[in-house]
Amino acid sequence: MGKSALITGITGQDGSYLAELLLEKGYLVHGLVRRSSSFSTGRIDHLYKDIHENPGLLLHYGDLTDGQALSNLVLNLEPDEIYNLGAQSHVRVSFDQPVYTLMTDGVGALNVLEAARILNQKKPVRVYQASSSEMYGAVLETPQKESTPFNPQSPYACAKVYAFFQTVNYRRSYNLFACNGILFNHESPRRGETFVTRKITRAATRIKLGLQKKLFLGNLDAKRDWGYAKDYVEAMWLMLQHHQPEDFVIATGNTYSIREFLQMVFSKLDLEWQEFVEIDPRYFRPAEVELLLGDPSKAKNSLGWTSKTSLDQLATIMVEHDLELAKREKHNQSFQQ
Amino acid sequence: MRAVITGITGQDGSYLTDLLLAKGYEVHGIVRRSSTLQRPRLDQQVHDQSIYGKRLFLHYSDLTDTTSLRRILNRIVPDEFYHLAGQSHVGLSFEIPESTCELTAMGTLRILEILRDLSPSPRFLHASSREIFGTPICSPQNEDTPLNPNSPYGAAKAFANQLVKIYRDSLGLFGCNAICYNHESPRRAENFVTRKISIAAASIKLGLQKELVLGNIDSSRDWGCAPEFVEAMWLMLQQPTPKDYILATGKTHSVREFLELAFQHVGLDWKKYYRHDPRFQRPVEPENLRGDASRASIELGWKPKTSLAQLAAMMVDHDLSRLEQSMLEK
Repeated sequence: MGKSALITGITGQDGSYLAELLLEKGYLVHGLVRRSSSFSTGRIDHLYKDIHENPGLLLHYGDLTDGQALSNLVLNLEPDEIYNLGAQSHVRVSFDQPVYTLMTDGVGALNVLEAARILNQKKPVRVYQASSSEMYGAVLETPQKESTPFNPQSPYACAKVYAFFQTVNYRRSYNLFACNGILFNHESPRRGETFVTRKITRAATRIKLGLQKKLFLGNLDAKRDWGYAKDYVEAMWLMLQHHQPEDFVIATGNTYSIREFLQMVFSKLDLEWQEFVEIDPRYFRPAEVELLLGDPSKAKNSLGWTSKTSLDQLATIMVEHDLELAKREKHNQSFQQ
Repeated sequence: MRAVITGITGQDGSYLTDLLLAKGYEVHGIVRRSSTLQRPRLDQQVHDQSIYGKRLFLHYSDLTDTTSLRRILNRIVPDEFYHLAGQSHVGLSFEIPESTCELTAMGTLRILEILRDLSPSPRFLHASSREIFGTPICSPQNEDTPLNPNSPYGAAKAFANQLVKIYRDSLGLFGCNAICYNHESPRRAENFVTRKISIAAASIKLGLQKELVLGNIDSSRDWGCAPEFVEAMWLMLQQPTPKDYILATGKTHSVREFLELAFQHVGLDWKKYYRHDPRFQRPVEPENLRGDASRASIELGWKPKTSLAQLAAMMVDHDLSRLEQSMLEK
């Protein structure tokens, strides 16, 4: 009997890479999807198309805020593993939707833990909680590791801190195999377009093909530890195969400014970024996190996991993908005229 | 004129956006945040730099998120508010009844509460549904037909429908219920039966699909054309007094008839490709759903003109050209 997993947030970047990983490993994968009259499954459509050869992927409607429906689903499916990746995941947006962000990212995580706790009484289940480097906020030590105290600077970060501590609490109180992956920023060609790295690669490639003139950004001096999402979902899986539940920092151990990423991306396209970038204060955070730099040594020593992709390689991967997208867009434009 | 639309990314929301922009409105849409930016029905307007950021604006919020809704509405101060959002799939409401109620019933109450304190208060249009009549006590149904919902979706809409009336009658809000019968279009979501059929007809014609699986093909509905329905919604808010209106064609057709029309349009015999699956059947099938839209006809001058055959042709043609284009792009 193969293993089964439930992924919340399966339509997101990480969810789609994780679904691929688990399907390759022969899992039966269940995904939770919010109902909408527009389809949101763009990132997993390619997995779903092969449904007759790949019956291993099943999607279910639900919402992290609907605890009852979630519990019913978990008790019916009895997954061996639950990966709670679903969330309102944009830090800047959380300042505009603080209550919604808490209900989804905080209470939603609690709903998942509750459902798992009850299933666990009948059949063992392992839970992965998507925690975030944003919890370190205005960092109290550098680099940040598992023992670094949190200092959240946004409603998003506060909600994630809540979810982190609930996960630890359920592990200790109920003997539930529940762990936190404290992932630093992780990008890919599937990254949402309102996240800065993707915003940059999309803009730069469109500018290259004459489809866009300018790129508006916020604070160029903020520094982040950026990895490749595809490498990072493997860490999630490793954490749930570990002999005991623990929390791990997942990061590259390097930090770069947005300015440096801009330079990398635009130079791959033979462009000078300064000619095309303008600052728009709308993108500034009310409270900024100036620097994030993770120390992933525990993950390396205990799980044998390291990040395999440098920022420069990541930039190349994203630029290549978005250049193709821009070319298709340009081709379609001329086609429609 | 300034309008706010919830459910702007949906079928009706997108047609309403087209209509209001054409009439020179400034349009503000409420959208849920997601890490995918897929809003295909609004793509054209959102990517048009002469429109987006100038006359069309999108704001992140959610029907359950009162604090951000209130802030957005206080800032925009709209003249008109079109509330089209909700969990809109009847069959699904049996699986996710709580979410359906939170969004469709409570979400409406939350909005009414916010609008109550706005000064001046905008005119309010609520997208109600013939599902509130459930298995109706009489046929055809009009604005005074008693409510008798038989799905969690219908119950949620009935609650919202009643509240709009209460806020209108007791609290003086200019609120109207557009009691809409089914209305379709090329932008209809793919898991609603008419669109499921038009996509199948086009896909089978192009060799991309082999069969079409459906539930009860003898169930019948009063099917109209979405762009005509949103025009009625706008008309309702231009009247001197707020009222509820049935929006319907007054004619019912079976799923079988739509199947025939859609497949005939591409020269195919639907019987060769159709397979029945009881999973798509509703626990309770509403019967005798036929709307009497005479009040809308007399007071709004509204008359739906699109026949079922024209609707089927429009939808199949759209799906044919869309699929042909994506085959070319590969």
